[in-house]
Amino acid sequence: MFLEVKKLVKFYNKTPVIKGLDFTLKKGEIISFLGESGSGKTTFLKCLSGLEKINSGSIKLNGSKLNDNSIFVSPQKRKIGYVFQDYPLFPHLNLIENITLNLEKKFEKKLSSIIKLTNLESLLERYPHELSGGEQQRTCLARALVREPDLLLLDEPFSNLDSNIKLSIREEIYRIIKETKTTTILVTHDINDSLNIADRILIFKAGVMQQFDDPVKMYCEPANCYCAEILGDLNQINIANKTYYLRPEKIKVVSKSKNVLSVEKCFFQGKDYKIKAKFNNNIWHLFSDKSYKINDSIHIAYDKSDLIYFDNMCKSFFK
Amino acid sequence: MEIKGIFKLENKSWVLGSVIVAILVLLPILFLIRGLLKIEESDLLYLLNTILLEYTLNTFYLIFITSLFSLFFGILPAWYISKYKFAGRSFFDITLYLPLAIPSYIMAFTYSDILSFTGPIQSFLRTHFNSISNIFNKDYLQIEVLGVVLALALYPYIYSASRISFSLIGVNYVNLSKNLGLSKTKSFFKIFLPLSKPAILSGLFLVIMEVLNEYGAVKYFGINTYTSGIFRAWFSMNNIGTAIQLSIILLIVVLSLLYLEKLINAKSKFNYSINSKRQNLRNLKKKKLFLVYIVCSIPVFFGFFIPLGFIINNVILTYFKIDFNQLFELVSNSIKVSTIASILIIIIALLFLFIEKITKSKINHVISQLISLGYALPGAVIGLSLILMATSFNDIFSSLSIMGSFYLLIYAYVIRFLAVGKSPIKSSLDKHPDSYTDTAKNLGLSPIMQLKEIYLPINKFALITAFIVTFIDLMKELPITLILRPFNFDTLGTQTYEYAIEEMIPLSSIYSLSIIIISSVMLLFLKNIINKQINVPRG
Repeated sequence: MFLEVKKLVKFYNKTPVIKGLDFTLKKGEIISFLGESGSGKTTFLKCLSGLEKINSGSIKLNGSKLNDNSIFVSPQKRKIGYVFQDYPLFPHLNLIENITLNLEKKFEKKLSSIIKLTNLESLLERYPHELSGGEQQRTCLARALVREPDLLLLDEPFSNLDSNIKLSIREEIYRIIKETKTTTILVTHDINDSLNIADRILIFKAGVMQQFDDPVKMYCEPANCYCAEILGDLNQINIANKTYYLRPEKIKVVSKSKNVLSVEKCFFQGKDYKIKAKFNNNIWHLFSDKSYKINDSIHIAYDKSDLIYFDNMCKSFFK
Repeated sequence: MEIKGIFKLENKSWVLGSVIVAILVLLPILFLIRGLLKIEESDLLYLLNTILLEYTLNTFYLIFITSLFSLFFGILPAWYISKYKFAGRSFFDITLYLPLAIPSYIMAFTYSDILSFTGPIQSFLRTHFNSISNIFNKDYLQIEVLGVVLALALYPYIYSASRISFSLIGVNYVNLSKNLGLSKTKSFFKIFLPLSKPAILSGLFLVIMEVLNEYGAVKYFGINTYTSGIFRAWFSMNNIGTAIQLSIILLIVVLSLLYLEKLINAKSKFNYSINSKRQNLRNLKKKKLFLVYIVCSIPVFFGFFIPLGFIINNVILTYFKIDFNQLFELVSNSIKVSTIASILIIIIALLFLFIEKITKSKINHVISQLISLGYALPGAVIGLSLILMATSFNDIFSSLSIMGSFYLLIYAYVIRFLAVGKSPIKSSLDKHPDSYTDTAKNLGLSPIMQLKEIYLPINKFALITAFIVTFIDLMKELPITLILRPFNFDTLGTQTYEYAIEEMIPLSSIYSLSIIIISSVMLLFLKNIINKQINVPRG
């Protein structure tokens, strides 16, 4: 495996932030590390890059040990590119000087192609304060990629961007990473970023990996209620004293059924209507081609095979 | 690949280096405390039974008057200049800083002369209004007058802190207070003043420290404070025990004030968004314009132009008596010691702060706090501590003669003014996110390379600012120089003091003027840098 993380443990002031993380990564793969703010995602990236030391476990990249009980490779010596959340470009250097700061000679031949790939050719002489958020971010990406890193770390790369440019930047970054075939870990709290970019998603909660799978499997077969909820709305249904869950898109609106919902809200969201309705004292969400008024009744049907079951304790565990 | 520990060791050597320098900085205080243990009981009783109460009351009364007037002279002009547009605003914005160029002891000598029986005011009254001239014939060398005079010299600490704080309060707060129906006066007292409280308190703290450190002015006015007491006990009465006890008491007062400031600031610690759009300057109503001119003119004219005019007049009157060779020598001495000490201070301060930044270790954070205590230590205490230390070393190494050496003087300057040089560098470093260090490491830069490629260039303005503020403070320094200067070595400050104390104030004027000119030029340069930083585009 290209990247091997084994039983990684990290404490901050005696508080465990990462509790025995185990996973591997293939070369060229893009994975997304998904978790809430403050869940330890950035700490994990800092452990990988050597900016933080791990308390136990090991990290191996491209056949070389980076950190375990006896070895610690300094961040300067790891071939890991890191694009930080706040796009730190040094204010006294222009764009090209930022990219080439401390750049080894052997990487200089790569410079023009990376600049072209990141579409920065016309901005080389500009200083950071003269660049837009997207341009600053592409500069950070170019600075990391030109060094041909074994591993690229992206820390919440879209969180500081306006929503109108976020989509295009996301597409662009995906294209650049894929073209350079760089193994990448994207840290985010936004499920849409993960679904759009990642080959596989790692869901992280309370210092523990909850699930590590491809997006489709994760959506259809979530490991627990936390993973299920993080990937989209869930509707709760009780059948024979057991609690099941159902994705909104698995619900069909029919003309007659014994399952009747009372509409509380209905709003148009582009291609269809999203409906919030009450069913047996639970709030449900579903989609419909038709608009409904408040207190209208909707008859619905579903496939029993689409029901997802979790242990009753699951909800309270993640609260 | 590296073996575990190499990274650690690299940082350890940085930390170790800073620990050694910190010990050197704090060593004299340990000698002072050691000296306290040797004091006899009779000395302690003498202090308690005779002078302690008077010294304590005088010190705190002087602090109270100076603080009160400094707040009055500093806050209101800062408010009007930060928020309003009016003719002459730029003039006041520059000149309100200028009293910093006049050492407080020169301010005191000058006003005592202006107000004296032979001074211009009483002479004018006797000539033109002889019948009422007797009303003004009073002894003006009183603690209350000194308090006001010191406030005129020291209010710029409060003015500059409030000026920056008021400027950084964004338009959102202004709009919000309007929206909540607050009048301009209510907005000032309920919103802007509380928001600027930490800044104003830090300025006030500096004023108090300067009053505690003051020697030349209190000695001239004949007021017994802790500092003048240390000099009197040490040099006039040759009573080392009393001098040490007073120094320790002064140290305790200063540390208590430092603790109090931290306590108050911790309670009022809040962050307000300075990134919100800055408010455009508002126009002033005509009837308010007069008030604004009064508020801005009083500190500028009484704090700078009147003493400057008086000093220039004295220089013209005594021009034929000026020994220019001596003047050039003293200017050269003052610039030489101030420059050497300032450069040393900046190198040490930058290293401490840089090590604190890259190691993020608790030890360095504590060291950084400890070395800042030097500024809180009055010059007299530092001078006395160093003499005690040098005497001990001379006892041990009889061949070593550090007493009265140039190095000892520079050493004392470094201890006393390290915090002054450190402050602008620290605030500049704090503005840079931690991700700069992380990025630099990630790009493979060693600590030395980080310093050279990143921290020196991006903190260029802060380093220049640090140099200027330290240089100005050193130009004005008196008590340490009086105690520790080498034999036959004088600065502009000591020469001014010596003439003044011999009641030859007109003759001291050329030396005072030299200090004021050099400091004013540096201050104007500094103000230019500060304005550039305040007006930096935000987004």
